[in-house]
Amino acid sequence: MSLSTRVSIVALACAFASTSAANAADSSLSNPNISAVLDGYYQTGDRPMSVREEGFGLGETELAISANIDDMFYGKFTAIIESHDGETEFELEEAFIQTLALPGGLSVRAGRFLSDIGYLNNQHPHTDAFSDRPAVYRAFLGNHYFDDGIRLSYVAPTDVYWTMGAEAFSGDKMRAADEHGEREFDKVGVYSAFTKIGGDIGQESSWQVGLTYLRNENGKTLVEEHDDHDDHVDMLADDHDHGHSHNAAFTGQNTYVADFVFKWAPSGNYKYQHLTLSGEYFRVTDILGEAHDDHEHDHDEVVAHEDHGNAFDAYHEGWYLSTAYQFSPSWSAGLRYGQVDVNEIHGDHVHGQQLKETELSLAWHSSHFSTVRLQYTNQQGTNFDGFEDDNIITLQYVMTLGAHGAHQF
Amino acid sequence: MRINSKLKAIATVAVMAFSASANAQLNVFACEPEYAALTKELAPDAKIYSATTAMQDPHQVQARPSLIAKMRQADLVVCAGADLEIGWLPMLQMKASNANVRSTDKGLFYAAEHTITLDQLTQVDRSMGDVHAKGNPHLHFDPYRIIDIANGLTAKLSQLDADNRLQYEAALADFTSRWKAAIPKWEQQAQGLAGKKVIAYHSSFRYLFHWLGMEQVADLEPKPGLAPTSSHLASLLKRAEQGDIMAVLITSYHSDRGAKWLGERSDLPVMRLPMSIGGNDASTDLFSLYDSVISMLLEVK
Repeated sequence: MSLSTRVSIVALACAFASTSAANAADSSLSNPNISAVLDGYYQTGDRPMSVREEGFGLGETELAISANIDDMFYGKFTAIIESHDGETEFELEEAFIQTLALPGGLSVRAGRFLSDIGYLNNQHPHTDAFSDRPAVYRAFLGNHYFDDGIRLSYVAPTDVYWTMGAEAFSGDKMRAADEHGEREFDKVGVYSAFTKIGGDIGQESSWQVGLTYLRNENGKTLVEEHDDHDDHVDMLADDHDHGHSHNAAFTGQNTYVADFVFKWAPSGNYKYQHLTLSGEYFRVTDILGEAHDDHEHDHDEVVAHEDHGNAFDAYHEGWYLSTAYQFSPSWSAGLRYGQVDVNEIHGDHVHGQQLKETELSLAWHSSHFSTVRLQYTNQQGTNFDGFEDDNIITLQYVMTLGAHGAHQF
Repeated sequence: MRINSKLKAIATVAVMAFSASANAQLNVFACEPEYAALTKELAPDAKIYSATTAMQDPHQVQARPSLIAKMRQADLVVCAGADLEIGWLPMLQMKASNANVRSTDKGLFYAAEHTITLDQLTQVDRSMGDVHAKGNPHLHFDPYRIIDIANGLTAKLSQLDADNRLQYEAALADFTSRWKAAIPKWEQQAQGLAGKKVIAYHSSFRYLFHWLGMEQVADLEPKPGLAPTSSHLASLLKRAEQGDIMAVLITSYHSDRGAKWLGERSDLPVMRLPMSIGGNDASTDLFSLYDSVISMLLEVK
């Protein structure tokens, strides 16, 4: 009818002839993906360890460039511009290369990148259903953990998704507080090993579970003088509430993470409605150590006079459970509960403190690229740097422009 | 001479390794069920997995773990292309760590690169909604373009699995002759549809209407990718009142809310057409999909 076979043969010839031209329209060195994220908010209070402050503010304004460098390497660059107390700060969040052509399901990523530990950490915050990361992320990962290092990943050739990976990082952001600035930190401080397993349940549901072990050689806070009880170790947490450092507020030598995510959509069609249920549990152990190993026997004495339990066995822990439901292409809502139980280190003993957060968010999406969110947070702090019961309302927009990369599960 | 015999040994090992892989069943990952069906016609022995169903919008697919696992094992990935899968395919490629299916030089096949797409744009702006500069990617309702794509796909299969080239060419010849016999039959049946005007959801049936000479006078979406709004529906109702519209058409993965509202007020029939194989009970392969869509359209007429 309207298209004769002859025309289609010509079409075919043209298509073959123009294959290279068609490829040029994909992201490549001459035409990389360039995108920006704009994030602004107004909020009625402060959340502990958060980068967002009371009043009007900007979140992370992000500029990203990515492309296949050649057939062997992919590269991405993400710069973050933050504004705090009238100062504009520039930070490189990602600057990495990744191999594209290693055999056997292997890949290597090197440079600065988001660690693949836990569920949320390797996701960009602008895709979250809430304005802030859960308290566990703020406490143990400095919001989200990116660092300079290297990762080796492997995907098994199985029908059930199974990936394993190991990372090594400089670990600067994960260093324990250093009272006198004299501590000799390991230059390669953080190692992680993780695995994720996932699949589908019928046409409608998908799941993934993950386990992570993170070793932080510089994570123990060292006690130097046993009898100097009032000489508080200058914990990062102490100045973190008002600052905006991306360092972890609470550290330890060993971190264990268990995470899961479950997604559902009617008929597996994500166009109109879908549900995401996710949760993670973190446990950070070996938070306190001796500066001098030859004083080993002193532990027992110290603990014996103190009534704070065995400080050397103390650990931090935290978890969250989050659900987000998109009930129409334009509207979504989220409900999240999270808490952290951490120990503030005072010399050679620890003080327990707790933060609980219950959050409700409602978001309007004019398209996939723009979100306006209203969020209510009820926070309950116990000995948490002066944070007590409080209610916070946040009104936020998050918008992406440009050729934005595909999202992860 | 020693080098020569070494070369021979290497060549022998390479041939052995190659023929071993050639004898193995070709593992195909199709982005959409129509390409799973086309691959089944052209490579009946292949192990074929479709990432989506006809009930799922292929623009909005999660780069979920099961798809990464399937792509990890694939020898060939067959997709519509023209950026239809831009929101999820690159993430799957990144996560699956399978270099064999990363580029169209190897085991990646984009149907849109083997024919000419309609509605290509030189300028694309997000304010236009979800439009594709490379043209409309919903290619599979044009039977002539299917022939173009089948030719390209057969060449790709032969490239990847050279030992079975003759079988692929025989399968293509068989498919093409049956398909070419079906085209005039469909065109005969659909004669009365030429010139008919419809309101439809998205440009999903662009190629069908183009082929059959039908005209989509309005879209339920105010802009591509955006859900119908009440003000937009009100304007469609006004358009429908001119009385020249045959029906309101939606696909198997679109919500019928806006269409029903419009249908009730304008007294127009609302019909859900299968977007692909599995979109209704009758559509079990490409032939029956075309049969089903044309007979459904004739019913409304």
